[in-house]
Amino acid sequence: MTNEHKRYLLKLRTYKLKVFFFQLLIIISFLGLWEVLVNIGFLNAFIYSSPSRIIMTIIDLIKTNNLFIHIYITLKEVLISFILGLSLGFIIALILYEWPFLAKILDPFLTMINSLPKVALGPLIIIICGANIKSIILMALLINLIINVISIYNGFLGTNEYQLKLFKSLNASKYQILTKLVIPSSYRTIISSLKLCISQTLIGVIMGEFLVSKQGIGYLIVYGKQVFNLNLVMTGIIILAIISFILYKLIIILEKKLLKNI
Amino acid sequence: MNNILELKNIQKSYHTKEGEILAIKEINLNINKGEIISLVGPSGCGKSTLLSIICGLDKFDKGIINKDNNLKIGYMLQSDALLPFLTIYENAILGLKLQNNLTKDRLKYVDYLLKLYNLDEFKNNYPTSLSGGMKQRLALIRTLAINPDILLLDEPFSALDQQSRLMISDDVYKIIKKEKKTVILVTHNIEDATIFSDRVIILSKRPAIIKNIININLENNDSIYERRKDKNFNKYFDLIWKDLDNNDQ
Repeated sequence: MTNEHKRYLLKLRTYKLKVFFFQLLIIISFLGLWEVLVNIGFLNAFIYSSPSRIIMTIIDLIKTNNLFIHIYITLKEVLISFILGLSLGFIIALILYEWPFLAKILDPFLTMINSLPKVALGPLIIIICGANIKSIILMALLINLIINVISIYNGFLGTNEYQLKLFKSLNASKYQILTKLVIPSSYRTIISSLKLCISQTLIGVIMGEFLVSKQGIGYLIVYGKQVFNLNLVMTGIIILAIISFILYKLIIILEKKLLKNI
Repeated sequence: MNNILELKNIQKSYHTKEGEILAIKEINLNINKGEIISLVGPSGCGKSTLLSIICGLDKFDKGIINKDNNLKIGYMLQSDALLPFLTIYENAILGLKLQNNLTKDRLKYVDYLLKLYNLDEFKNNYPTSLSGGMKQRLALIRTLAINPDILLLDEPFSALDQQSRLMISDDVYKIIKKEKKTVILVTHNIEDATIFSDRVIILSKRPAIIKNIININLENNDSIYERRKDKNFNKYFDLIWKDLDNNDQ
């Protein structure tokens, strides 16, 4: 390895470290400032809680065996809704791609459903599905499904026209065109849509938990509000932020792995 | 020579909201086995449409195409159309795979072509690691792998730089001569048309009709370099140019 290349690699590493340092600095400054402002009485501890109070609440939740069950429930709901949303989105996108006439008919309806605030459907969902996990999953599905359909469908439509022409000239069947060209060509779009899907699913699940649940992080936040324990509310929000960050990072790792050769 | 393909009074129109556009008008053409013909004409005159019609990708409104039902057509496009998610080897055998024809003989032939064009050492790599010229060579291997009876070449060298263009067109010329392939070449390049062809078909502006057919008779058939040196090369070049030039008036 030449000295120039070593210097180049060092520069890259230093740049990454610098970015990480400033990210860490922002988090520490934010938490530190929050703690100080509460301790000097500038912020009301009852309303705004504080990092030390949140840590104490987390310890209490662990001691009473409550924390992990709530995280587990939320993650389970997220996973079910995520897989369902993705699979259904994929199948619907496939149907729309194969039947352009149907896609043309449904186009305004998809746009309308996509722009509808799904929370407005909450009461209806509870009446239809009851106050249980089904309502939570349906709420999350309503939020992530249309986005999945639209992005995967657009991925299919973006198949290279020369490659399509090539497959047709080789007398490829419709099934071969779909499985050996259209779907593999859309990997990048599908995987990119996972990032959006995971965050939308989390929003849907928490919204659902606000409405009906008896367990989960969303429930923890609503319960905290009902008993005026705002430490619990803040703890729920922080845990949610951490879960959201971890899930997003997992998708990024998956994306890198799957797109390595594309 | 045996007739491999016959186009009789082929006519094709496009329909838009604004009206009907007649793209091709009464094209009559016989193509003989082992013959190399070039289609030249102004941009948008319908050369590529005619290739698509021959290949069965495009429908035509009137006329008849006489060809053997089992005629195997190899279509090489302007773009290499390589699949980025398949390795170089998987791209080379794509046609064989789609046609369920992965026989020992065909795979052996693919290996031979990969070696011939110095691509065998990269066969497990992905197309992103290849230069533009190498990609077009791979596209040629993929086209030849299915052992087509007739090769349709739609501006196959137009996206290449001059050096790659000369090298690849020579590769293509040598292999189609060696294997006695029937070829229809669509090109804008008069030089390519003159060097490659036994006949050059000059099409008019849209709606395309056959304006002139020039029989090319260059003595040397070894390589395109030798054919360019032929004493008659300039004469044919000028004849085609004159006909094309008249198109614009």
